[in-house]
Amino acid sequence: MNLKRAGIILLVSVLVLTLGTGAALAADTIKIGYLAALTGDWAAYGQTEEKTALLAVDEINAQGGLLGKQVELVVYDFRTRAEDAVNAVRRLAEEDKVVGIVGANGSGINIATAPLVNRYGIPQIGTVSTNPFVTVDKNGKVRPYSFRVCFTDPYQGKLIAYFSAMELKKMKAAILYDVGSDYSQGLREFFMKSYGEYGGEVVADLGFRAGQDVDFRAQLTEIRDKQADVLILPNMGKEMALIMKQARELGMDEIVFVGGDGYAEFMWEIAGDSMENSYWINHVSPDDPAMAKFFADYKAKYNDECKEFVNGILGYDAMYMMFDAIERAGEADPKLIAKALSETKDLQLHHAVITMDEFHNPLDKDGIIIIAKDGHGQFYMKIKPE
Amino acid sequence: METLLQQTINGLSLGSVYALIAVGYSLVYSILLFSNFAHGGFLVIGGYICYFTLKSLGFNIWVAGLASLVGAGFSAVLTEKLAYKPIRERTNVTLYLLIASMGMSIVIENLFVIIAGGRFRALPAVIPTHPVHLFGVATTSAFDIISLLAAVVFLGALQLFLVKTKWGLAIRAAAYDLRIAGLMGVNVNLLISIVFFVAGLLAAVGGIFLSVRYTLYPQLGMITIKAFVAAVIGGLGSLPGAVVGSLILGLSEMLTAGFISSQLRDLVVFSLLIITLLVRPQGLFGKNISEKV
Repeated sequence: MNLKRAGIILLVSVLVLTLGTGAALAADTIKIGYLAALTGDWAAYGQTEEKTALLAVDEINAQGGLLGKQVELVVYDFRTRAEDAVNAVRRLAEEDKVVGIVGANGSGINIATAPLVNRYGIPQIGTVSTNPFVTVDKNGKVRPYSFRVCFTDPYQGKLIAYFSAMELKKMKAAILYDVGSDYSQGLREFFMKSYGEYGGEVVADLGFRAGQDVDFRAQLTEIRDKQADVLILPNMGKEMALIMKQARELGMDEIVFVGGDGYAEFMWEIAGDSMENSYWINHVSPDDPAMAKFFADYKAKYNDECKEFVNGILGYDAMYMMFDAIERAGEADPKLIAKALSETKDLQLHHAVITMDEFHNPLDKDGIIIIAKDGHGQFYMKIKPE
Repeated sequence: METLLQQTINGLSLGSVYALIAVGYSLVYSILLFSNFAHGGFLVIGGYICYFTLKSLGFNIWVAGLASLVGAGFSAVLTEKLAYKPIRERTNVTLYLLIASMGMSIVIENLFVIIAGGRFRALPAVIPTHPVHLFGVATTSAFDIISLLAAVVFLGALQLFLVKTKWGLAIRAAAYDLRIAGLMGVNVNLLISIVFFVAGLLAAVGGIFLSVRYTLYPQLGMITIKAFVAAVIGGLGSLPGAVVGSLILGLSEMLTAGFISSQLRDLVVFSLLIITLLVRPQGLFGKNISEKV
């Protein structure tokens, strides 16, 4: 009995002590939380983000930190699962007392954590969370503490339409989309709307089901018969690679492929030469001259190439977006930081210039076009739709 | 008209790959009267053996193909010895075999997730896939023609094996009644091993063609659900039925996708299955009306 009581007293005093030191430390540093998928399906993306976020923190601390304090990054692994992300946010808010959270890198995760960060009043910046509902709720009202650094799916659909119609001058489009995916359906819908406005005509609008369908020759034959000159692919890597391969096998040599940010290097292994001269709308480019220093620093620090560069760069710049907001807020208070974030204007990040719109989405962000050439994706041009 | 021809060619080439798999289903069903759901696993084994012999050992497609066929054949025999033989010696309720085969299919899939990883792999370009123009009206890839020919060759060889050889005779006898075939002095265990070997071998042929066309991944075996539907439409246990069912399925898939809507494709396929079960439960070429699953 005595022993048990002693144990409890010990435990309580340890807890008080750790909480005490935690609070004491919080006064000396500015804590920023990071939600990264270090294990699970997205581990490759999450591990890269963690590294680039730490790179950003090292850089800012070398310059004297923020508001005269050093920045401390608290990284939690959400294991590619929404429920773990929710727990991590609770811990970041209640125990670590962070002033802001960066991550996660997927819309589903951000949508799951949005009610929580808005209740705690801690700003959160999604890295590649492109779904509209990350920053607005079901009623179309903006979520005051939710932000993102990437552009949204509707905007991406518009970028694809603009590039196909105005840059490539291809006015007869076919679209092959995944009927089971919100991402794919959303891109299709917004592409069709904008493409019509640019004077293009969608001659074939066909669906498939990802994960089940692997044969697209029936759809492709119809697309060929309709004499489309550009094929829009708003899907994920594997299906797009198979579609391109099968199209070339059917002798469709002229049609141009334009896809979204589902581009991945592994598609080359499946599609081979069929990939050549296809175009991909993306957030960032591996050989954007403005990012050369980032890649060199990453390699110097980690002795490895930054392969998942989309996540890497967006995670890195989301950190810089947070730093900027903390500076402008003038003190390490989450509410003031959220306000500063929503007022972000003409902020020069490494990969783009960011201005927040009223729905907490970057306004008129540059789209990067990647061209698939000589066995890998290369920077082609930057576009901004009119 | 051109489109019709084009979609017909697409359908036949898809159907021929289904046929290679469906025949394996039917063969096992005709002897043991259960649907071997681990059949998709043999296909995956064949695909991975071919991939690694080509990539890691650097052999040509003929050696890799042979290794893959033999390897998948022996894996099928091993599966039977490990999972089905103990059950069929203890009971004659085929439901247990069916459940065991579902288990084996999950085991094989996950083995490959662990050994080879879940990512998609593409076989090197060992089979030509360049476009071929047919009579100036239709275009298909050389690969479609090769896979169609390969299916015809292997199915023809199987037919010869069943009709001309002594073991073929034994298999046909066992398909009528396994028990009586055993009583007549046929070595039943050896016969079942041979049947599984042949089924595994044919699955590997399908596996190689499928992985060249659609890439290789541990869940590739799921595609056999279509082959299973084809086998049921044709009449489980009947080999000509399996071939005809597969061609019907391949054609109806392609024609639906091409002329009606690509989203209705699977709906049509499974409606065909349901109509078959309602109107002619034994399938087109089936002999007896017994449980199909």
